[in-house]
Amino acid sequence: MATDKSNFQLVVNGILNENPIFRLVLSMCPAVGISTTVMNGFMLGIAVLFVQVFSSCTIALFQNKIHPRIRIPTYTLTIATWVTVIDLVLAAYLPEAYAKMGIFVKLIVAFAIITMRLEMFASKESVTASFWDGIGMGLGFMFGMMALGFVRELLGLGTILGYDVLGFKPLLFFVLPFAGFFCVGLMMAFFNYLESVYKRAKQRV
Amino acid sequence: MKDIFTIVFRLTVACLLAGLVMGATFIFTDQAKKHNEHAREQKAMLGLLGYSANKPPPAGLTMHALYRYIVSEGREVSMGYLLPTKDRAFVFVAIALDGTFRNATPVALDPAKAGEEGEREKALAAALGPGKELRYAEQTLVVTEDGVRRAYLLSGRFPGFKTFISMLIALEPDFTIRGLEVMEHEEDPGLGAEITQDYFKKQFSGKPFARLKELAVVKTPLPAEYQQALEAEKRGGLDPAAAAAIMDQYRDHDIYALTGATISSRAVTNGVKAMVGKFTYRLAILDRVLAEEQIAAPF
Amino acid sequence: MKIKMGTDLFFGQPVRCSATIAPAKNKSVPIFVLALFCLALLPGFARAEGMISQTGFSGEREISLSFSQPLAPEVAGNPASYVVYEEADPDIRLAVSEVALAADQRSAVLTFAAPLNTLQPHVVALPALTPAGAEVETFRVSKPYLGYLLSILISALLINNFVFTKYLGLCVFFGTSKRKDTAKGMGFTFTLVIVVSAIMSWFFYQFILKPFHLNFLQIVIFIGLVSLTVQAVDTVLRKVNPALFRAFGVYLVLVIANCIIIAVPLILADNEYNFFETFMLSLGAGGGFLLALYLMSSVRERMELANIPPAFKGIPIAFIVAGQFALAFLGFSGLNLF
Repeated sequence: MATDKSNFQLVVNGILNENPIFRLVLSMCPAVGISTTVMNGFMLGIAVLFVQVFSSCTIALFQNKIHPRIRIPTYTLTIATWVTVIDLVLAAYLPEAYAKMGIFVKLIVAFAIITMRLEMFASKESVTASFWDGIGMGLGFMFGMMALGFVRELLGLGTILGYDVLGFKPLLFFVLPFAGFFCVGLMMAFFNYLESVYKRAKQRV
Repeated sequence: MKDIFTIVFRLTVACLLAGLVMGATFIFTDQAKKHNEHAREQKAMLGLLGYSANKPPPAGLTMHALYRYIVSEGREVSMGYLLPTKDRAFVFVAIALDGTFRNATPVALDPAKAGEEGEREKALAAALGPGKELRYAEQTLVVTEDGVRRAYLLSGRFPGFKTFISMLIALEPDFTIRGLEVMEHEEDPGLGAEITQDYFKKQFSGKPFARLKELAVVKTPLPAEYQQALEAEKRGGLDPAAAAAIMDQYRDHDIYALTGATISSRAVTNGVKAMVGKFTYRLAILDRVLAEEQIAAPF
Repeated sequence: MKIKMGTDLFFGQPVRCSATIAPAKNKSVPIFVLALFCLALLPGFARAEGMISQTGFSGEREISLSFSQPLAPEVAGNPASYVVYEEADPDIRLAVSEVALAADQRSAVLTFAAPLNTLQPHVVALPALTPAGAEVETFRVSKPYLGYLLSILISALLINNFVFTKYLGLCVFFGTSKRKDTAKGMGFTFTLVIVVSAIMSWFFYQFILKPFHLNFLQIVIFIGLVSLTVQAVDTVLRKVNPALFRAFGVYLVLVIANCIIIAVPLILADNEYNFFETFMLSLGAGGGFLLALYLMSSVRERMELANIPPAFKGIPIAFIVAGQFALAFLGFSGLNLF
């Protein structure tokens, strides 16, 4: 079974149609926990992108060698390996950003999105297709996190990427930890609303 | 049965490959990690002393590291301090728990490598001989300028609201707090994470030791003029003279708690109190022992 | 089509619980609770008898002592004859400013010059009453250990609930909180797996990773132990109690996709917990997840009957509700029971 989508379509698919945060509702923990600033979202997005792309490629490369009965343990091992690598690299070269993300980099190992893409896509498709799919999923996650971070940072702290743009703090509420739930819920509802408006407009035409 | 062998074989190969990748990364990144951590700490320390890239420290300024160990020999416990001597060698001073001098052992250690825990341990084990168990406790830096003590830098960690808070504290020679820097924390953003902000941590600056002992946390809101003075270093802040005047006015005041994060504020205050209190207690004993035994320390 | 399969894994129809499992569960629960209680009590018995029979903090600056026999007032009433220090800092002697000896000379209250850090265990010794040449007897003063263990449990259960205050395990949380039956099934399965895997992780961490400086392998080892536990529970349950397996088997796969299961070993490695503390933390984490799931499913069952704006139907409103729960759980912060 080979995918009929072009590489570009695979990437767009990951960002829009199958956005891991807003459409598949997977890997919600970081989306709620540390999406307080754009920078945090970007950093964790990079880490997930790295792990997703490398795991997808590894599994796609060895797909014939993996025994079907130990499929899941092999996936877990692969993901855990790449998570360890990115964890060590981030801790070594970007210690300040790493300190902000806390335990979440290590928790990438339990993100459902990565295992799911390995099972659904990389174990059946070619290395190239898996690579682009991984890029799409990783970018989708990153953009989702950055969108959340944008809203929360702008409304909560009045800054973007640490630069003061508003000069005051409109709603401190949004940057408080539990507001992640409200923010995700509201944004999801907003996207649902956009979709329904778009569909209605399409029907009328 | 054949299935099991292939499964075992493939799993083994997968584990070996994974181990290879992780091991290689570990070896590759370990050096860089240590180097970056050291650089970050160094920068924070110089920052607390008032120096930065634009304002380099004077040539006469040196930092002497003092490493504290807990030595147990059988059931007997004593404190051990590894410190440099005037002729660029090291000496290990053992002090009994009641503050009496035990012994001093010269330690052969390369000053360039003294910053590494593994190297220190090796050198200490060689110098002290077998039968002694050493546990590393902490390091303290004594800053001197042309042989005169200018400041002390203490590092330590204590429990915050969520997990541990790592802190670096700079003290004047008379133990007045010069400043503090939060190195690591996992407090909530918007609430406890504000401990890293100037308007909280600068409240400690200039508190004399006698006042610090009785320092408490109050829940009244931070006065606006005090906040302006605390944040004077920000762009467009108060001019230094006016800020210093307001700071003087609040010198004897307790710490104003962060809004919605009284527990974090209290944890930091108590942590700083404990760190400084323990340090002054130990330094008094060590200084007395060094003077009595005429051990030539460079500070 | 692919998405459908993927989401079905998490948001599919709940699995019906079969009625046959009820008696088996009812019988094992009290035994389990009893065993837990015995385990928690164990460290309480391990207390040495000596000159001082009972110690405890009685205030910010006070330690109270009970002696096993009356002591001479010129020694026991003299502040200078007591040596008190925090266990971690044996060289820092805390200054005793005053001793109030009871009339029967069997108990005393020490008052200190500075407030004590009652979270730290303290040590009291009376070297003046020790015969020359003998080892000085020391006595530990700490908050009751059982209380400390319970505080870890309560903390993981309510104050630092992993779902509502640490925001972990949310994928599975939103996926399995549609029905109360599913919520209970997932919660119980998860608690079992997390307790077993956390204890195994603790052994690996204390006896293999730490002594050999292999800390960078934490993630791989911990997730590997979780998979192993899941596989083992799967196999055992399938053989021993097929009815129970039919009810709870489906949740086993989901356990591994729950961040809490890997967060708990990482936390206990960071905090250097001992065996009992590990057990309590994992039990609290599992119980907290069960509690969160049950609360959430109760609300969501009712919400199906409510009139919700179409854009909010399903997951978005669930997030808003979870946010309100998180706000409510914030009220537990700062709770100090023991």
